[in-house]
Amino acid sequence: MAQAKKAKAAEPTEKFDYEGNPLPDLPDLSWMGNTFQWGTKALPERYGGGLTLAGINIGIYGDIPEHIPHRNRLPRGAVPVVSAGNIGGYYIQDKYEQWAESSPYLYEEGISRRWSTATDIPWETGRGLSDDVEVAIAQVATELSNWGSVETEVVSAWLQNLSPGYHEVKYFLSTAVYDSARIEEGYRKRALLNGAGMMLESPGRMNRACLESYGSWSNTVLFMWILRGSLMQAIVRYLSVYGPTEADRELAFRILPDIMRKSAYACDHIRFAISKKPELTTVFSAGLTVAEFSQLSDFNDSVLWEALAIIFGDGVENMDQGMETVLELQQYFLETYIDKCNQANLGRETQIRSGAWAGILMGVPITGHATPDEMRAQVAAIMQKNSGKK
Amino acid sequence: MATKSKANTAAPNTFEQLLDYGKNNGYKLDWLQQRETFGKELDAPTDGGGLLLQDIDSGPFAEVPEWTNNVTGRPRGALTRPSAARIGKYGIRTKADVWLKNGAQLYEEAVQRQWSSATDIPWNELEELPDEIEQAECQLATFLTEVEFVAGDVPGRWISETSPDYYEPRMFLISQIMDEARHADVFRKRALANGGGLLQQNSSAALAGASIDSARDFTEMSARLHISGEGLVLSIFRMGERMAYNNAEKAIYRLAASDESRHVAFGVMHLQYVSQTDPERSEEIHSYLDEIELGLVAGTGGQNPAVRGTPSNAAIMTLLGGGTDEASLREGEQIAGAVRQRQVKEYIQRIKVAGFGDRFTNGRAAAGLTEYISA
Repeated sequence: MAQAKKAKAAEPTEKFDYEGNPLPDLPDLSWMGNTFQWGTKALPERYGGGLTLAGINIGIYGDIPEHIPHRNRLPRGAVPVVSAGNIGGYYIQDKYEQWAESSPYLYEEGISRRWSTATDIPWETGRGLSDDVEVAIAQVATELSNWGSVETEVVSAWLQNLSPGYHEVKYFLSTAVYDSARIEEGYRKRALLNGAGMMLESPGRMNRACLESYGSWSNTVLFMWILRGSLMQAIVRYLSVYGPTEADRELAFRILPDIMRKSAYACDHIRFAISKKPELTTVFSAGLTVAEFSQLSDFNDSVLWEALAIIFGDGVENMDQGMETVLELQQYFLETYIDKCNQANLGRETQIRSGAWAGILMGVPITGHATPDEMRAQVAAIMQKNSGKK
Repeated sequence: MATKSKANTAAPNTFEQLLDYGKNNGYKLDWLQQRETFGKELDAPTDGGGLLLQDIDSGPFAEVPEWTNNVTGRPRGALTRPSAARIGKYGIRTKADVWLKNGAQLYEEAVQRQWSSATDIPWNELEELPDEIEQAECQLATFLTEVEFVAGDVPGRWISETSPDYYEPRMFLISQIMDEARHADVFRKRALANGGGLLQQNSSAALAGASIDSARDFTEMSARLHISGEGLVLSIFRMGERMAYNNAEKAIYRLAASDESRHVAFGVMHLQYVSQTDPERSEEIHSYLDEIELGLVAGTGGQNPAVRGTPSNAAIMTLLGGGTDEASLREGEQIAGAVRQRQVKEYIQRIKVAGFGDRFTNGRAAAGLTEYISA
């Protein structure tokens, strides 16, 4: 029990509430017993997982309503007070607009996997590259840092609009924005490690699509964590294997699970939204069609691909070999994207396999070096060769 | 792995030759250039602290502009693309509006001190408490889980308002969002882990949000949130040893206080930067402090759980006094008074450090503050 040590200080004898109304001599205890459910006793997990966010969703506190009527910070399950009123923001009040069943688990997972770019990366191993590879990794790092920065801007700006009634989502997104910040600063550290520095900024069309996806949080999730996220996953995954130094591989290896948690939330959320409102399939598909054009536009910028080709080929003189790995990466991106869309119950396979992206899957990368006519000719040649084989 | 010797022995043996070689093979490579810092390796960290944000910037990357025209969202020091869209809707493009001297240090400190509400709190040491004590714990936890949303969501809005040329304060604010989510989470867990439940919403919590929420200037917001709101809550957390009834609660208050002290430090250091670099704002800042002190004395704003007449205050009195009988409540009230006194003293000290201490000697500060100090 708290020790009631006598305090020397005393409050002024006249007592008033915060509005200046006189107060009774002893405090009002009428709030006691004012609860929707008493006797709640959530228990820690049995095998060391601790007391988790999912673990406290018991009784009425585990009831996730379809709609939160309050536009203030009422904790879900607490007794509302009329005088609390409404405050700005928090207009995303429906479950289908933000919910994912996995969010409390992803939140705890994000916390349990906490790490530091300062101390968990063997930076001393990131030395000794040839000048061209060092500049190339700095260029890729600049691009990824730029993407991480955009993610932090996008997610943090949405937080004020997402109802605290779905606190599991809000908490998960807090870990997500923190993870994105780590991408931003981790790759900044990499770019500056050997003095190459921050290189050319991102072409930015996809950044723009993410930032301007203000129509709904779901659209943002689709663009940023399913479409762009698939590309980021592909690049970071390849860097975790083909990164030129141990430091590069370890940095990518550490970031990859952070990306995957955001991807898991995104797929889970979109699937949930569609399960509640099937008509959203059309809305989401239309949005993705536009966003895919932005992504395609970025693909036609050669900078990122040339930098990756130098890294994968171990130098400018081996860029042709490096470009073969770039093609694999682009194919991996598209297959990942198709898989995520399927997982989200939002089929995009037909559009991807038959549209502007199809050339990549057939073996013609989009890297900004060939004109559309040249790429079409390459695709036609591949098709002819394949039909001849048959 | 590529090595430096490779470039020297390969056919194209200088950087320029490499460029020519690549261009002759159909590549553009117009981005492949050595910047002025090329080859200047960062010192390998030797003290165990790792490669810290505050240690990496040099040359153009370390130049934090007093005013920035970076509206494309490019990382500070990156080379520009003429075609880049102006996608950054940055209201904060002036350094003094958001800067502090140790933003990077506070961010790295936050990263090192992350903790888990699931596994770093000894939940199995919670013990069954008398019903009135459990109710008080749960009412205070309900209050705290609610107000922590303020401290997470409001900084979030300002991150996207701030140019990435000032990325250090942005990084810190992101770490704060993470911290506040964990605080909201841990107090909810406390309310639901020991046979209790959530109680009633704080009637004035939304009002608190309104004043912090409605600030149209970052420095005003920071003074209200970091120095006033979080400063007051920090004083409460620091009384955790007295309010706690078991090791689990002690751990909660101790860990939350550690986070909260960083948030307060951010506010103090930012205000100090403003006082040192933008003295023309002095009168404006004092006017914010006038309002803040009114809230501190009269208890308006709803940020302070120790303010009289609120359920959270009654809960604190119950916890400090050990019960709801008259003697216990009076004892709790006395200790709560000491908490209020401590809040005021700590507030005054923070404002002095921030460079606005003259208000306490020239008669500008709220008269009620001295009542608390002298009580």
